[in-house]
Amino acid sequence: MTKPINASFQEIIKLDVGKVKNVTLENEYAIFTNHLTKKFKDFTAVNDLNLKVEKGEIYGLLGPNGAGKTTVIKMLTSILNPSAGDAQVLGEKIPDGKVAPKIGYMPQETGVYLGLTVDQNLKFYGRVFNLKKDEMEKREDELLRFVDLLDWKNEMVENLSGGMKHRVSLACTLIHQPELLFLDEPTVGVDPELRVSFWDYFNQLRKKGVTILITTHYMDEARHCDRIGFMQRGSLIAEDEPLKLLEESGEDSLEDAFLVFSKRDKNRRKRVVS
Amino acid sequence: MKFYRVMAVSRKVFRDVANDKRSLAMLFLAPIFAMCVFGLAFSGDVEDVNVIIVNQDQGYTSPMGDTTYLSETIISNLDTKVLNIKNMGNVDEARQQVIDGKASAVIIFPENFTQNALLKTQDPSYPDSAEIIIQGDDSITNIKNSILQTVNQALSDTMTAEGVEPALKITSDPIYGKDAEFIDFFVPGILAFVVYLLTTILTLITFVGERVNGTLERVLASPVTEGEVITGYALTFGVLGVVQVALLLAVAILAFNIIVVGNVLLAFLAVAILAISCQALGILLSSLAKRPEQAIQFFPFVILPAFLLSGVFWPIQAIPAWLRPFSYLVPPTYAADACRAVMLKGWGLTKIWPDLLALVIFALLFLGLAVWSLKRGKN
Ligand SMILES: Nc1ncnc2c1ncn2[C@@H]1O[C@H](COP(=O)(O)OP(=O)(O)OP(=O)(O)O)[C@@H](O)[C@H]1O
Ligand SMILES: [Mg+2]
Repeated sequence: MTKPINASFQEIIKLDVGKVKNVTLENEYAIFTNHLTKKFKDFTAVNDLNLKVEKGEIYGLLGPNGAGKTTVIKMLTSILNPSAGDAQVLGEKIPDGKVAPKIGYMPQETGVYLGLTVDQNLKFYGRVFNLKKDEMEKREDELLRFVDLLDWKNEMVENLSGGMKHRVSLACTLIHQPELLFLDEPTVGVDPELRVSFWDYFNQLRKKGVTILITTHYMDEARHCDRIGFMQRGSLIAEDEPLKLLEESGEDSLEDAFLVFSKRDKNRRKRVVS
Repeated sequence: MKFYRVMAVSRKVFRDVANDKRSLAMLFLAPIFAMCVFGLAFSGDVEDVNVIIVNQDQGYTSPMGDTTYLSETIISNLDTKVLNIKNMGNVDEARQQVIDGKASAVIIFPENFTQNALLKTQDPSYPDSAEIIIQGDDSITNIKNSILQTVNQALSDTMTAEGVEPALKITSDPIYGKDAEFIDFFVPGILAFVVYLLTTILTLITFVGERVNGTLERVLASPVTEGEVITGYALTFGVLGVVQVALLLAVAILAFNIIVVGNVLLAFLAVAILAISCQALGILLSSLAKRPEQAIQFFPFVILPAFLLSGVFWPIQAIPAWLRPFSYLVPPTYAADACRAVMLKGWGLTKIWPDLLALVIFALLFLGLAVWSLKRGKN
């Protein structure tokens, strides 16, 4: 029953260090990347990225098409191997299978089986995570209620509308109650009403301590994030709380703020080159 | 490797196939259709060849005074299933029919046919032998051979009936495959061919779908490993291959009354291993295709080598010697050989193990390569 004394002692020390110096240890971040780089042949899609996401945070990765957002997520979910640098996810070095049961990944390309019903999709992903039967039924019911697809449970996914497919995809991502979510444009094609309820749900999850890394092109949504990282050409060009980013750029929309940071980044590059 | 994850993948693949009526039709109806079409059309036996007989035989009148016409006996012994016989009196007219493409050959019995035949048998020193002249369109070798063979058969039947024992004789006394017809040779081959073709193509299409729809990525981000994905697929397609073959065999036995002397379970085993290597091949090929349409471009490369080289439609001995080594590089060759040996010769495990071993080696090789291709995709 009682823990070995030295183990609890170590725990106390660790906690103290964290509190006293107000720093988080590397492996206490939800996501910690160290010069993370991805090259496809000669093309650098992600360039020397140092990203820190704390546990229980909603972090928004924003940037134009091709900025490298998806590539970052694929490295952090062990779908792609980094070309250089490394990263820790929930304290585990990636790429590694150890952390997989604790993360949920929603790919940009829906990632659901069109030839299966909504129910069969959810069951498949549930089985992969070894959910027990009654737990599965319970989760499925909750999630279908949340994405408002209870009536479509036995419909073939290929017969659903685009936005509905995205909702199925989100439900599949959440089936095993992951601690860390990677959501790649989860709200694309989802109607405004439902989008609001998605964000309510994300906030609820955060309150439970779930960490979320999200990408989006909807700037109004990005305001809900705790912190935002602007990405351009594989690099992080600015990172802060949404309001602080607006303040720093002197703009009142995140779109314009991005343009300001983008221009600054370009100028900086020019200076480096010249 | 966790069993429950392999089973999750396997069940999912099975569901995916079972939900789609087209996939089901492709797996279970297309093979039966193919077997019927090929089995009936491709029987290899030539029938209804138009030939014209010009019988100028004057017969032979024995010293006793009665006249015999050997030619007529021979003609009556010709197999009329193979030959459609028409009689004509004039050689030139008959030749014209061949020239015009209305008949395949003219069979001429010369005037002194019976006379020469009988005199030569009585007295071997008699200078002239009897002759049947066949003038024909030899451009289709199958037809030419059937005409020659039919005439030969009629000739030897006649001689036996006339009590003329040939000096040399060949007796066929089958060790295996007594009464076997083309369909008996063909069915075991098509079992292997169908499983090879459909498994490879179906996994190819399914797996390109997995890549395009992002499901493969989601699965790889989950605890499922590359090896588990491929084992799951292998399990489903191995089982589907056996079901396919069982169904096909049932139809073949009921409709074509084919010969099965051995233990069909061994044939199932061969086909299951074949299916496992084929699904791995399909996954391997899918890594070369970025879009579903591109997968279709691989079909000829999947179909043709097996069609030509695997000994399904004709024996490997009928393939030019320099091409034959390539036959041993396509997996269905071994499965067809094993199925044939089991079904027609009743061979057991002790005799077909080299085929099974080859299939297992192919399966391990392709499975390994498929896992490697998935891992390589991460870089
Ligand atoms: N497998 C690949 N092979 C080669 N290049 C790739 C590959 N995947 C991505 N890229 C390139 O890497 C860059 C970053 O792509 P990525 O998908 O990460 O962008 P993104 O920020 O997610 O864009 P979007 O907003 O359009 O989703 C792009 O220029 C893309 O062309
Ligand atoms: Mg993207």
